[in-house]
Amino acid sequence: MNAPATERFVVPIGPQHPALKEPGHFEFTVEGETVVDATVRLGYAHRGIEKGAEGRNWTQTLYLIERICGICSHIHSTAYAVGVEQLAEVEVPARAQAIREIICELERVHSHLLWLGVAAHDAGFDTLFMYTWRDRETVMDILETMSGNRVHYSANVLGGVKFDLTDESAVAILKGVEFLEERTHHYRKVVSEDAFFLQRTRGVGTMTHAEALALGVVGPTARASGVARDVRLDAPYVAYADFPARIQLLTAGDLEARFLARLDELLDSFRLIRVLVAGLPAGELTAKRMPRKLKPGEVISRVEAPRGELFYYIRSTGGEQPDRVKVRTPTLCNMGSVITQTIGHNLADVPMILVGIDPCFSCNDRAVTVRRAGDDNGRAWAWADLRRYGIDYYRRIRN
Amino acid sequence: MKIALFTDLARSAFRRPVTERYPFEKRPAPPLYRGQVSWTAEGCTGCMLCVKDCPAEAIDFFTLDKANKRFVFRYHTDRCTFCGQCAYSCRFSCITLDDEAWELAGGDRAAFVVTYGRPEDIARVELEELPATGA
Repeated sequence: MNAPATERFVVPIGPQHPALKEPGHFEFTVEGETVVDATVRLGYAHRGIEKGAEGRNWTQTLYLIERICGICSHIHSTAYAVGVEQLAEVEVPARAQAIREIICELERVHSHLLWLGVAAHDAGFDTLFMYTWRDRETVMDILETMSGNRVHYSANVLGGVKFDLTDESAVAILKGVEFLEERTHHYRKVVSEDAFFLQRTRGVGTMTHAEALALGVVGPTARASGVARDVRLDAPYVAYADFPARIQLLTAGDLEARFLARLDELLDSFRLIRVLVAGLPAGELTAKRMPRKLKPGEVISRVEAPRGELFYYIRSTGGEQPDRVKVRTPTLCNMGSVITQTIGHNLADVPMILVGIDPCFSCNDRAVTVRRAGDDNGRAWAWADLRRYGIDYYRRIRN
Repeated sequence: MKIALFTDLARSAFRRPVTERYPFEKRPAPPLYRGQVSWTAEGCTGCMLCVKDCPAEAIDFFTLDKANKRFVFRYHTDRCTFCGQCAYSCRFSCITLDDEAWELAGGDRAAFVVTYGRPEDIARVELEELPATGA
């Protein structure tokens, strides 16, 4: 390995690799230790969920959609339910919407704590990983008490929620939130003061405000670069109009800012959960009537998942089944920033820059056609075209 | 920093482990826990909403005689995703998800199929190998 520093070398990473637990293929061109070019190939965990949705009725699809992501399961089903309810012109009671929001925020807490642990682990700070994951059990227990399950809460039904907030769960929530708030203050201090950790985060993967806008990043990744973009505030869904979140903006745009943005969001989530529990509106849990057949029409539903904006497009042709469900997850929007931000950094910083966007690969893997800017030859893919394409593709790679 | 480390160390030395001593100690599941599905014939009208809305095709329903309310409900634990939609869809509260039945691992697949109904109806369904209604 005595290659001169000027010689370029391509380091392929993945689909199976030790840094990440999910499949993705990266190729980093390095000069010495410095990355000069990077490409990504996604799609190893494509599961055909969008096609699967077309063969199920509106209710069955809700549970299929919930299983897109094991971390933000509730936000997916909320995005879908909100869209379908809009199509059906059903008014969801305020109490149900507030309960949805409580679970959304608890899920954000659990997701950010999980991410903090994973990110600390990738930085080689396993003590922080162990501590955050121990504390994360608190919020998992709250969710289990409240909904009956740790991961797939199945809180949503079309037209409302399945269960009410009991006094017992309200007490558990407040107690857990108090403990977690204290811990989060501690973690915020660790992340912003620990000298060794700061060597891995401060000034690494810096993305300026202009770059963030050009790359179209979303969620905490965007907010750490000063882009004021949060669907909870821009287009309030469920009960976010009555119980608003506060945007957490930072301007530094480096990895440290992404850590702090998420930790600040945790603190705001704790505040919001307290406000919600105290001011939970009275009323029914579900709409009076939810039709089984929906009128023809199409709808766009946007929500703020823990990782950023989650986008749903739902189309009905008037039957018991959706005609089309299109999902765009935040990881896909943020992936471009990994490719550009790694250039100029050491190869050893790459895992940290990647983990900085909180990637979720299997959520984001679906069929995408990329069109060059300015090329407006749009093309609709019919089922027969897709089938033909698939056959040709596999014939090509086999030969 | 160092003092915080020692207080944490001292506290952790006397605290119970965070991990649970399962299977020696079993923590009771929360009341809302969604475990194995059970069905009772009382009140069932055979509307089949549970079957239609099940996302995992975990329910086979046999209508032997709708007028006399003779139904057989076959539940596949191994297909079930424990979402609770069947219990929610049922307007007559015939379906419940048991919060105590959560230790469902097993080595024999046949044990995962649970059939509810009158013994003579179950026998008829099994003997004649009737197809599930709507299948």
